[in-house]
Amino acid sequence: MERFQYVRATNVAEALTLLNQPGYKNRPLAGSTDLLLLMRKKPDVCDRVIDISLIPELHRIEQQGNHVIIGAAATFSEVLSNSLVNQTAPILAEACKTVGAVQIRNMGTVGGNVANAAACADSLPALVCLNATARVLTPAEEFNWTVSELVLSPNKTRIPSGGLLVSLQYPIPPLETRGIFLKLGRRNAMAISRLTVAALGRVDISGRIVEARFVTGSAAPQICHFKDVEASLIGQIPTPELMLAAGKLATEEMTELSGTRWSSEFKVPALSAMTARALARVFQISLEKVEAV
Amino acid sequence: MAKTQFIGKPATRVDALEKVMGTAKFVADYSVPNMLVSRCLRSTLPHARILSIDITGAQNIPGVRAVITSEDFVNHSRFGFPIEDMYMLAYQRVRFVGDPIVAIAADNEDILLAALAAVKVDLEPLPGVFDPRLALQPDAPLVGENPREAEGHPRGNLVIDYIVRQGDPDAVLRDCDITVEAEYTTMHQEHAYIETEGALAIPWPGSSGVTIYAPCQSPFIAKNNVIKTIGLEQEDVRVIQPYVGGAFGGKDDTMYQTATQVAKLALVSGQPVQMLFSREESMIASYKRDAMVMQLKVGAKKDGTLQACKFHGIVDSGAYSAITPFTAWRSSIHAMGPYRYQACAVDTDVVYTNNGYAGAFRGFGNTEVCYAIELAVDEIASRLKMDPIDLRLKNCLRPFDTTSHGQRLGEDVAIVECLEQVRKISDWDRRRKEIPQGDPKQIRPGEFRRGIGVAAVFHGISLGAEGKDFAAGTLRINDDNTLTLTSGLTDYGAGSRTVYTLIAAETLGIDPNRIHMLRPDTDTALDSGPTVASRATIMGGNATQEAAMRLDTILLTAAAGLFHCQMVEVLREGENYIGPNEEPATFDQVVDQARQMGLVLSTQGRWNAPENHWSFESGSGKPYFAYHYGAQVAEVLVDTGTGKVEVTGYWAAHNTGTVIFPQGVLGQVFGGITQGLGYALMERVDYDQGYIQTTNFDEYLIPTAMDVPDIVGTFVEKPFADGPYGAKNIAEPGLVPAAPAIINAIYHATGRRIQNLPANLERVLIGKDLRKEGSNTACKLGLHQE
Amino acid sequence: MKFTLLVNGIKMNTEAPADTSLLYLLRDYLHLTGTKEGCNIGECGACSVLLDGKLVNSCLILAAQANGREVKTIEGVHALENDGPNDLQQAFIDYGAVQCGFCIPGMVLAGESLLNSNPNPNRTEIRAAIAGNLCRCTGYQQIVDAIQATAVKRQEKNSRG
Repeated sequence: MERFQYVRATNVAEALTLLNQPGYKNRPLAGSTDLLLLMRKKPDVCDRVIDISLIPELHRIEQQGNHVIIGAAATFSEVLSNSLVNQTAPILAEACKTVGAVQIRNMGTVGGNVANAAACADSLPALVCLNATARVLTPAEEFNWTVSELVLSPNKTRIPSGGLLVSLQYPIPPLETRGIFLKLGRRNAMAISRLTVAALGRVDISGRIVEARFVTGSAAPQICHFKDVEASLIGQIPTPELMLAAGKLATEEMTELSGTRWSSEFKVPALSAMTARALARVFQISLEKVEAV
Repeated sequence: MAKTQFIGKPATRVDALEKVMGTAKFVADYSVPNMLVSRCLRSTLPHARILSIDITGAQNIPGVRAVITSEDFVNHSRFGFPIEDMYMLAYQRVRFVGDPIVAIAADNEDILLAALAAVKVDLEPLPGVFDPRLALQPDAPLVGENPREAEGHPRGNLVIDYIVRQGDPDAVLRDCDITVEAEYTTMHQEHAYIETEGALAIPWPGSSGVTIYAPCQSPFIAKNNVIKTIGLEQEDVRVIQPYVGGAFGGKDDTMYQTATQVAKLALVSGQPVQMLFSREESMIASYKRDAMVMQLKVGAKKDGTLQACKFHGIVDSGAYSAITPFTAWRSSIHAMGPYRYQACAVDTDVVYTNNGYAGAFRGFGNTEVCYAIELAVDEIASRLKMDPIDLRLKNCLRPFDTTSHGQRLGEDVAIVECLEQVRKISDWDRRRKEIPQGDPKQIRPGEFRRGIGVAAVFHGISLGAEGKDFAAGTLRINDDNTLTLTSGLTDYGAGSRTVYTLIAAETLGIDPNRIHMLRPDTDTALDSGPTVASRATIMGGNATQEAAMRLDTILLTAAAGLFHCQMVEVLREGENYIGPNEEPATFDQVVDQARQMGLVLSTQGRWNAPENHWSFESGSGKPYFAYHYGAQVAEVLVDTGTGKVEVTGYWAAHNTGTVIFPQGVLGQVFGGITQGLGYALMERVDYDQGYIQTTNFDEYLIPTAMDVPDIVGTFVEKPFADGPYGAKNIAEPGLVPAAPAIINAIYHATGRRIQNLPANLERVLIGKDLRKEGSNTACKLGLHQE
Repeated sequence: MKFTLLVNGIKMNTEAPADTSLLYLLRDYLHLTGTKEGCNIGECGACSVLLDGKLVNSCLILAAQANGREVKTIEGVHALENDGPNDLQQAFIDYGAVQCGFCIPGMVLAGESLLNSNPNPNRTEIRAAIAGNLCRCTGYQQIVDAIQATAVKRQEKNSRG
C-alpha cells in the first residue's frame, strides 16, 4: 500500500503547477535526505512528492552582475566544488564541506537545507553571513527575502504553501574580504552541528575594521547577524583583547536571543572560544600570547 | 620457535572474496518461497505486570499465519544461563522497554503491522528501578523474582555478588604515603554491529523438525534453547550460522530469543519465517555492555610501590542477568589491574534494574574496571611526579609472580615487554619531555593542548573458572582430496576460520587452499561452548591442531606403508613425503595409499583448558589458566575552547604469543581500539526512566574513519606453551585499555582527569555531562524543540 | 508504479509501490542483495550505491528518483575481463580490509567513487571519502591502506601508459 505518489518535474513552471494541483498534499523533493525521513515519522505531511532534483535550471551556479546565483537543487557537492563559489564565497564552500559525508553531500541540496531550515542546518549561517537572498516563486507571485527573513524559526520558513524556493543569491564580497566557517560536532563526520560560526571581515589601509559580519548556527533560534558583536568591531584595530571581548559579547547576544537553556552551560564557553578564534583568524590576530583566564 | 610455512606469514582471509564481491549472504539476504515475515510486539513500559494478552484480533486478520506468546512454549518459555531468569516471550511481567511479548508471522509487512496493532496487551505499570545505586535499598521496587530474604542468588534485586580477598587492605592503606580515592562511572555501550539481528526458520516437510539460520554466536546454545523451550528432540533442530555482520559479544541472548521465536512461528505456520530487526528495534531491544559505578581506593609508598587496593563496584545488569554474572566475575578478578599488592579487597554487586538488560560485550567486564584502575594508578604517578610507564613497570606482574588472587603465574607474563615496547614505538620519553603537564589554571583561552597517556591491561584467557572450558573440531579428507574442517567456535569477522585453516595446514604440511572450513552448523560441528572471551584461537586452535595432528599421524602411517619404512624415517619437503631412499611421494599419493590400507581419513580433536579453581567464599584461587598482557599509548589534541578531543596518534603492544594470521591480528587491534575510542569519547547509551535515548546511528555515535588516527600495532610474540604454535589471543584486549589511555592523555593535556565516560564535549569543557544529546534526525525534522 | 533502471549496465524492469526506496527496490524486487541495510536513515552507508556515478545512500533515495537512470551496485564491480575481483577488491583482500564483511560493499563503492574523481588521494582524503561508511570491525586502517595501494597502482599503470 503506497503511502505517497511520485511525479517528476522537468522545469520550474511544471513544478509549480504540480505543487499547486488540488487534491494532493504536495511537497517538493530535492535531495530527499530530509523529506523522506520526515514522511516516515509523519506520513500525513504529504501524499505526493514532486521531484525537482533533475530540473537543470535549478542546478545552475552562475554570476550575474555582482551576484552569484545558486539554483536551489544544487547539491552540497556541486556547490563546494564550484570554482565561482570557491573564489567568491569560500565560507559557503566550507559550510557545505562540513555536511554529513560524501553520500549526503551528493544528495542533499543547499535549497533543501534552507527550505527545511533545521536549527542545525549548516548552510544557513554562511548564507546569512553572505547576506544572501532567496527567490521563492508561487504560480502568481515572486518573493525575494533575505535568508535571515526567510527562516522564521527552526523548521519554519515564509515559503507559502505551494511555493518553491528556486534560487539563492549573494552579493560578491569585496576582494580583500576574509572569511571563516567553523563547525563544532561530536565527531568529525556525519555530525550535527553543536555550534557553528560564520564570519567575514575586512580592514582598511590603516588596519581598522571596516566590515565585520558574524553569524552563528545552532546557538539561537534565529539565524541572524549578531549586531552587537559586529558593532563592537567596526572602526577598531584588531587585537587579541578585542577578539576575546567579541567572544564574550557573542554569548551575551546568544543568551538574549535564546534565553538560558539546559545547553547554555556548555554553549556559552564554547561559543565564546569559537567566536574569538574565528574572528582572530579573519583579522589575522594570534591569541597565543594572551594570558590564562 | 621452529620455522613455519604458513603460521605468521602473510595470508588472506579465507572468506574475503565473497565479501568484497557482495555475494556473501547474511540472513537478511536469504529469501525462500512461501517465506513469512515476522516481528515481536515489545513492551513500551519499563516495568509492568501483564494482566492479559488478547491475540484474537490479530489472528483474525487474513494473511496472519501464526501468533505466539509464552504460553506456546514449555515452562512459559523460560531459559537463561547461568541464571535462568528470561523468557522467549514475556511471562507475567515485562521488565524493560523492548521486552518481547508476542510474536507474529504474516504474509507481508502491511499485514504484519496491522496484526501487531490489533494485539491487545493490558499492562499494569509497576514502579521501576533506574539508578543501580538504589537497587539494593530496602524500599526499592522489586525487579528480581526472588524475595530479598531468599537464600542464595539471585535474591531481591541482587543478581549475584563476588569478592576477592588478600590480606587486610584497610590496615595497609592506613600506612600508605599516598592514597587515591575516587568514584568512576561508565555508561552502557551498544555493540552497534552494522548488521542487525535476524533469523530465518524453515520447517522440515513431513516432520516436526526445523532448520534455523541465525547469526548468533553459539549455534549450539541456540539449538539447546530451542529444544528446551519448544520441546523438541536433538535430531529435530539444526542451527546454521550464516555470515555474521559483526557481533562483539552482542549476538547471544537476544539472538536466542529470535531464533526460538522464528522456529516456533515456522512450526505453527508450517512455512519458513524470517524476522529482521530494524536498527531502532536492535538498539532498543538488544542487550548492552553493563554500566558500572566503581569506588576505588589505591594506596602506595612514596617511592611508587603500590601497596593496597580496595574496589567496590555496582554492575547494572538491567532486567535480566544474561551472561552478566560471568562478566561481573571477570570485573572482580581484573579490578586491581596487572599489579602486585600487599593486600586487596574487591566487592562487586550485580543488580537488577529496568534499564534494558546487559550481557556480553568485547572486554567482558574488564573494559569497565580497567578504565578505573588505570586512571587511579596514573593519578598516583602524577601525584608522585613519576613517569606513568615507570610507575607501572615498578609494580606490574612479572613471570612467576603471585597475583592478588593468590595465583602463581608462569613464565608467559609479558607486561614488562609490552610496556617497554609501547614506550619505544610511541617515542614516549621524548613526547613526555616536550609536552608540559596541563594545568587548568594555566590554560589560555581556546588553547589547543597536546597530551599523551598510557594504559596497561591483563586479560584472563577464556572462560576461567566460570565454567567447563573445552573446544572440539573435526577434520576429514574428502574423495577429491580436499579437506573439510569444522569447529564449534564461530568466526563472526574476527578471523578464526582463517586461523584454524592455517593451523591445520601448518600441522599437515599442506597448502591452506586445500582446506575448506564449513560454516558453523550444529549438524557438522562439535559443541565447543560460546565464542566469547577471546577463546577462539587458543581453545579452537588447539582443538584444530589436535585433529590435524591425529590426521597427520594417519598420513605418516600411510607414507611409512608406502615406503616400507618406519614412521620416523619419513621426511617432509613442502607437501611431499620423502622416504629413506629419498623417493618422493605427493600428498595425493599418500592419501591414496591410506585409503588402500583401509585407514579412516577423518579425525576429531578436543582440547580442555587447564584446570582453574576459584573459591567464591574466600575470594581467591586460580581464576584463569593464563592471561594476555598489553599496553597502549594514546596521543590527543584537546581543544580547550570547545571540549573537542582529537586522537592524533596511537600505539599498541600486545602479548599475542605467536601471531598466526598477521593481518587478522592487526585488524582486531585496530578495530578494538576504535571501539574503545568510541567508548571513551562519544558513545553514550542514556536510559531515561528506562527509555533508551539513542535508537539509531544519528543519536548513537560511533567513530567514523575521520575520528581514528593511523594506529601502530605491534606484538610481543613470547610463545605461549599452552597455545597452538605458541599463540595466545587478541580479540578483546585490544579494546580494553583504549579508554583509559585516552583519558590519561586528556589529563596530561588539560590537568583534568575525567572519571565518567564518555568524555564528551561537555565533560571535557565544563567538567560535567548535560542531558539530551540530540540527533541528526530530530534536529533536521524539528522533532525535539530545544 | 513501473520502474526501468539501468543497473550495472543492464536494463531492469520491475513494478513496485511508488514510495519504495531504491535500497528496497534493489534488494527485494531486483534481488540484488549485495547492497545492505544498516540503519535506513542514511547514517551508516551500508546501502551506498552509485547513482549516475555519484555515491549516495540508497535507503534515502526513492526508487522513483532513480527511474530511467544508471545505478551501480557491488554486483557491478568486478574485473573487466571476468567476474572476479577488480584491483580495488583484490586490494581489500590483500590488505586485510575485510572482517565481517557487512560494510564492505558500501566501502568498495566509496573507494571506487573516490578514485574516479581523485586518482591520487592522500590518507586524509581517503578517510574523508569513506567517512560516510561506518565500520565496527576494522578500525578503517586497512581499508585506507587498500584504497591507497590501489590508487598508487593505478597511477603507475597510467604513467606507464
